[in-house]
Amino acid sequence: MANKNNNYNYPDKNGRFGSFGGRYVSETLISALEELESLYKKIKNDKKFQEELTNDLQTFVGRPSPLYFAKRWTDKLNGAKVFLKREDLNHTGAHKINNTVGQVLLAKKMGKKRIIAETGAGQHGVATAAVCARHGIECIIFMGSEDIERQAQNVYRMKLMGAEVCPVSSGTSTLKDAMNEAMRDWVSYIDDTHYIIGSVAGPHPYPMIVRDFNSIVGTELKKQSKILFGKYPDKIVACVGGGSNAMGIFYPFIKDKEVDLIGVEAAGSGLSSGKHAAPLSDGSPGVLHGMKTYLMQNSDGQILGTHSVSAGLDYPGVGPEHSFLKDMGRVHYEAATDKEALKAFHDLSRIEGIMPALETSHALAWVSKNAKKLKKSDVVVVNLSGRGDKDMQSVAKADGINF
Amino acid sequence: MGRIKDSFERAKNQESKTLITYYVAGDNNLNFSKKVFLKLLSYADIIEIGVPFSDPMAEGSIIQRSHERALSSYITFSRILSLVKELRIHNQDKPIVLMGYMNNFLSQGENLFKKIKKAGVDGLIIVDLPYEESEFFYNKLKDIDLDLIRLISPTTPKKTIEKIVKFSSGFLYYVSFRGVTGAKLSNFKEVQDKVKYIKSKTKIPVVVGFGIKEGEIAQKMSKISDGVVVGSRLIDIIQQNNFRLSDSMKFLEKSLKKFRRDVRKK
Repeated sequence: MANKNNNYNYPDKNGRFGSFGGRYVSETLISALEELESLYKKIKNDKKFQEELTNDLQTFVGRPSPLYFAKRWTDKLNGAKVFLKREDLNHTGAHKINNTVGQVLLAKKMGKKRIIAETGAGQHGVATAAVCARHGIECIIFMGSEDIERQAQNVYRMKLMGAEVCPVSSGTSTLKDAMNEAMRDWVSYIDDTHYIIGSVAGPHPYPMIVRDFNSIVGTELKKQSKILFGKYPDKIVACVGGGSNAMGIFYPFIKDKEVDLIGVEAAGSGLSSGKHAAPLSDGSPGVLHGMKTYLMQNSDGQILGTHSVSAGLDYPGVGPEHSFLKDMGRVHYEAATDKEALKAFHDLSRIEGIMPALETSHALAWVSKNAKKLKKSDVVVVNLSGRGDKDMQSVAKADGINF
Repeated sequence: MGRIKDSFERAKNQESKTLITYYVAGDNNLNFSKKVFLKLLSYADIIEIGVPFSDPMAEGSIIQRSHERALSSYITFSRILSLVKELRIHNQDKPIVLMGYMNNFLSQGENLFKKIKKAGVDGLIIVDLPYEESEFFYNKLKDIDLDLIRLISPTTPKKTIEKIVKFSSGFLYYVSFRGVTGAKLSNFKEVQDKVKYIKSKTKIPVVVGFGIKEGEIAQKMSKISDGVVVGSRLIDIIQQNNFRLSDSMKFLEKSLKKFRRDVRKK
């Protein structure tokens, strides 16, 4: 029992995390996924590649990101000490760029001339547009028309950096439909196009690659926490949509069983309302976007529309490794409502002078609710996955303010 | 037993290639689609019934919209099976294949196999179930003498083709281009070479689908293969007639007659 997680070595050779994951895509995509997998395996430990990546992370992204003590918030909460892993300070404003700087290098190694990506909140789209501009590669971003409306500033950011933004109005016009459309594009231009999936989702090897590139967050945290408090954190909290920021900060700690890992999904208007985006809390296993994972679906396997105040969590699935970690009990998953997230957004803004992304606010909401139940000596680290500048319009709308 | 095998034999005896048609169950309602399928059964050799999915990743816009219309007419998997049963009252000989996405089939649990067999289905085409993930479904279907129809695409390496054909039955579905349904065919030579290669490795019939929009392409493709699949084109015809029954049927019949002739031409 004590060593239960010490052999954690996933995905297996078939791209599976237990029964989750896999590669459920049309035959046309298989060879491209195999090419990506074999290249990645070959170069991930290559010294030159790692040097190039590290250099980009330091000079382009601005890593390492600081570990910040939220002192005034801790005092207010009157419980555990709360620290924030400041991914919001990264270039382009979120953890998403950790993945895109890595994947663009893979794309170049494969000789791909064109990059596509899907985006929900627009953070992954912006992070992809930035690396494409830097490397001079054509960039096309698929984005649901509903998201284009609520994230207008990010759309403009992408365009400023030379990306083409393609509105997707099929299905529910949100992230899942953008991903469908990106897959359709990829299958059509497979020979010269690389698809940078933005989360730990999709067919193998994406959940692994995106996790690995984001795990710099958890790796840094290990070092920083040893220096700052002489031990690993007692709890690490992260929001979960597709789940890339959570996997990034959790993964290096999976074998350290003394560290509690908590993922927070979007409960929208409440789990019992059905209007939410919390497949781990209130979904069932199925297959979507190339992976077997927990989904929000009806009894016939049709994917349900989701709701969350944050576009980045508005997704009916979740990365397959989260499904696996949920079932094995290594990570504890809960959910926070729109209302709780908005309150946490305002609290952190006023008390710490940090405006978090609405996605991140879900993780903060968990801390608001639970910090006082914890010991004062406990250390809780929240992955502050992104900054909230992009959410001004949504927050103002929720507060009844028109610009 | 063996309706799929028989249908290829029959076509051969009539010096024709096999005409396979696709339409989505429940577009734009269950009853309308039943009338379409009955019409298709009288002209085509094999009919594919599309199982609508909320996220049809491999489809172009025509079939995407068809899936959306079908879902808004409250089609369910059990209604689709009832539809198959009704079609079987009218026709006992022609193969009926369900084509759809993994999640809809998975949602039925282990009962799926018994239920489709009982309804009179002859095989499944699962768009997002590549060879590497297919062992379970292949074995389950084999146990009850149903076929898992495999898709092979222009990007499938020769080595994989050799593996796929060993675990195939019914027929093989060659996807004629890199892209989604209803797009334009790009490279005839590539199709020709690939189909020739597949045929050199197996005796199972090989049909060509995706992009078969007109009789001329159907004719060209059927010359180098054992048959063609027509889908988006038929839906488009019905859509253009705004689902008015008599007009839709009239133009559908006209188109089917032409496809029928074109796959027969030497």
